[in-house]
Amino acid sequence: MKRHGTTSAERMRLLAWLAVLGVILLCPLRSHAYAGPGAGFAVLSSFWTLFVAFLYSVYAFFVWPFRQLFRLLRRRKAYGKAQIKRAVILGFDGMDPELTERFIAEGRLPNLAKLRDEGAFRKLRTTYPAISPVAWSTFMTGVNPGKHNIYDFLARDLSNYLPYLSSAEIKGPKRSLKIGKYTVPLGGPRIRGMRRGTPFWHWLGEAGIFCSVIRVPVTFPPEKFPGVLLSGMCVPDLKGSQGTFCLCTTRTSGDKFREGGVRVPVERDGSVFRSYVPGPEDPLTPGSGDELRVSFEINLDKTGTQARFIVDSQTFTLKVGDYSEWIPVKFKAGVGFSAHGICRFYLKELSSEVEVYVTPVNIDPGKPDLPISHPVTYSIYLAKLFGPYATLGLAEDTWALNEHVLDDDAFLAQCYANHDDRERMLFDALEKTQQGLCACVFDTTDRVQHMFWRYLDEDHPAARDVPRDQRPTVIQDLYARMDELIGRVMKQIDDKTLLMIVSDHGFKSFARCVNLNAWLHQNGYLALKSGKTESGDWFDDVDWSRTRAYTMGLNGLYLNLKGREREGIIEAGPDADELKDELRRKLDGLVDPASGRVGITGVFDCDAVYAGPYVDNAPDLIVGYGDGFRASWDSVMGKVTSLIFEDNLKAWSGDHCIDPRLVPGVLFCNRKIADEKPAIVDVAPTVLKLFGLALPGYLDGKPWSVATSITP
Amino acid sequence: MGSLGFTPSLIVVGISLVIGLVMVVVFRYTSDQKAIRVAKDHLKAHLLALRLFQDQIPVVLRSYGRILLATGRYLRLAFMPLLFVIVPLTFLIVQLDRYLGLTPLEAGHPFLVSARVADATTLNEASLQLPDGLVTTAPAVHVPAENEIVWRVVASREGDYEVNVQASAQTFSKRVVVGSGLPRLSPVRLRGRFWERLFYSAEAALPKNSLIEAISVQYPARDIAFAGFEWNWIWLFFVLSLAAGFLFKSILGIEI
Repeated sequence: MKRHGTTSAERMRLLAWLAVLGVILLCPLRSHAYAGPGAGFAVLSSFWTLFVAFLYSVYAFFVWPFRQLFRLLRRRKAYGKAQIKRAVILGFDGMDPELTERFIAEGRLPNLAKLRDEGAFRKLRTTYPAISPVAWSTFMTGVNPGKHNIYDFLARDLSNYLPYLSSAEIKGPKRSLKIGKYTVPLGGPRIRGMRRGTPFWHWLGEAGIFCSVIRVPVTFPPEKFPGVLLSGMCVPDLKGSQGTFCLCTTRTSGDKFREGGVRVPVERDGSVFRSYVPGPEDPLTPGSGDELRVSFEINLDKTGTQARFIVDSQTFTLKVGDYSEWIPVKFKAGVGFSAHGICRFYLKELSSEVEVYVTPVNIDPGKPDLPISHPVTYSIYLAKLFGPYATLGLAEDTWALNEHVLDDDAFLAQCYANHDDRERMLFDALEKTQQGLCACVFDTTDRVQHMFWRYLDEDHPAARDVPRDQRPTVIQDLYARMDELIGRVMKQIDDKTLLMIVSDHGFKSFARCVNLNAWLHQNGYLALKSGKTESGDWFDDVDWSRTRAYTMGLNGLYLNLKGREREGIIEAGPDADELKDELRRKLDGLVDPASGRVGITGVFDCDAVYAGPYVDNAPDLIVGYGDGFRASWDSVMGKVTSLIFEDNLKAWSGDHCIDPRLVPGVLFCNRKIADEKPAIVDVAPTVLKLFGLALPGYLDGKPWSVATSITP
Repeated sequence: MGSLGFTPSLIVVGISLVIGLVMVVVFRYTSDQKAIRVAKDHLKAHLLALRLFQDQIPVVLRSYGRILLATGRYLRLAFMPLLFVIVPLTFLIVQLDRYLGLTPLEAGHPFLVSARVADATTLNEASLQLPDGLVTTAPAVHVPAENEIVWRVVASREGDYEVNVQASAQTFSKRVVVGSGLPRLSPVRLRGRFWERLFYSAEAALPKNSLIEAISVQYPARDIAFAGFEWNWIWLFFVLSLAAGFLFKSILGIEI
């Protein structure tokens, strides 16, 4: 019987090898100096590494005094008056104060309880609307949306009423060369950030305070500043979308996914199955719809329980229900053009039918084709240190769960794999930032609550068939897990470090959908073309010449204003004001006839809630839905249906895009805070003040009174 | 080898390509590819950290430490396959060295034949017996401190000769090659000394009871013309097999 470890035969063999090696090494010849390319490479590579390190050391040695002097001069501005040595800000997207209090009371969150008791716990007023890109933009800039220009994930193109991503614009290269039917791009894509305002870490960096910023939303494209930053929410996938998964299947189906995914056929060839991962548009034939692809092959094993995948030159084996690691894929478009991505494969089914889910193809952080960090080498550094990681802004594939392509467990596995990567990044940043700012945002809290609120809600339509005693405690577990993470962070910090836990908004149930376009249509504000009772996506059958108001996105309501919208009919001024008042009066308090509950608890005039140079880009009204309600899936996409209210049957069952007064975020701090009603807009000025910096005059937020020391 | 019309440089190029390919394939299957990739990535990460966090002195110092550790780890992983290849490759290189390391003697050019004896008293009894075509050009030189006797010999024509060294009643032969091309050359014939014989000699050992310990012929080292330079074959092999290894590792996707 073979013992655990090495057998005596193996030991003898090893000893014999060592003896031979020893003799050779003890009787050196010139030929021994080189024993093949392997040894040669090893020697050269390690020598090269040490040589580079040595060269850098020499450079650093000579430059160091000057840098230190320069740093000292700059840092005197900051640390000279600083009340803290380091600020650690952990963002938990969507962490809800009511749930947090409830779980603390149940004893599930000991570390947050400790922070509350020894420091501070407050509800954190959020932005109008309470949407992540809006709130996090306010968090980092310290200004209202009228000054940072982000009002939703989407903004509308006034020339055609179509949506575009509000945070960044990606265009093709400036110059290209046309050769026959091909267009050769001369240069890389052009990326323009749409968020305005200056993140507070820029001010800190300028003052010589080092900052590590990880995955804070709306930081794509990354802006240059003295520190390191990894972009978060709004980073696109390699297709340029906000996440397009792929279901490779042998089943034939004409159904398209509502959004977020594509079906790709799997061709059977004996015991081998072949399919492909769709990639970005072919840059040599822009506008043709031709996409680049990476083919892959699936070989079934004899037992039929697992399959061997061959993707490019990589092979890996998966069992049903297994995810692969991140697999690098290279999309080639002719000589010299290629796009580098990474994706994970999930084997869904292996029976008479074969189904494989492929995550959206993320930008490869080790070989980023688009800048996803500042400096560019930071994403590479993290990839080298921890291996490939999700770079897509919305990395957790909520659409795949919504469309039943993934089940609950597969979705959770994906979420927590991403979360584990983020934790590793955070702890590395904590180690690297012993002085300065370390800010890291975790998205898991938002995605998991969105998708699993149905099990928390007493009577959610999406979980009515799941008995209450069989409902998983996903959200309870989520909060406990975050608490445990906070506990580990607390162990890493000293009493000169400010620890702040913030969320951009809270959460509520999303049980009922409100199609505001349907309401506008039925109440005469939105007109359809003759003979139509419903419209397709993005106002396909809307008669703009008779439409006075419309909605798209999550909370914005727009007037069809003359001179602004392409086919506007409402005169700006008194007419517009009157229409806004009328809409506010009618919508505020709108009751869902089925439940008798109020579906809209507030409608807010943009002139009242925003101020700044970009107010003209804002929706005219912000609709605040009531607890349990949200804009319907169709309404968000500019579709007019016949029903105003309907059940939400999707897994996406919790939401926050409602009346901002109902979904404040959380604020925990390891120091006492005097202010009773802090807001997310105050975070930036508070941190600047704690580091002793003067506050820019245009900030809307007010710094809190924070205790100078930790209460024992 | 030479009879096939290949020049030494072509032979070295061919051997380097083949060995470069074989070695990277062997490396692929005898190394922990994933661990090597991770170790290399960590090295790169710590190098990047020097630049990214250059104003954080403790971070920079820690990164230097980690670079050293990661280099050690990488070397350990990369040298593991060496255990598998060092023995066969060493013997292969030794054998190649017989053909490529030295050139045959030239007719008309004097060369030295030396014999080392076990006992200095035997020196006076040692003599050299030459075949037709070889003659001594000077009296033998005795070097008692080294127990050695040296003859200066010249060949009148090319050929594969056997010279005999006689001491007391014992006579031992040694092969001497005069000519051109790539014959297999043995610069020394030895008594005992297994390892030295294995690496340096290409002839049968002298008997154990022999009064003579070694008979040597001083062949000149071979220089190979390649790319405008004169190379010792082992250096040329080093450079070319590395280049071949780089080429094949990229083509075959092997992590080295």
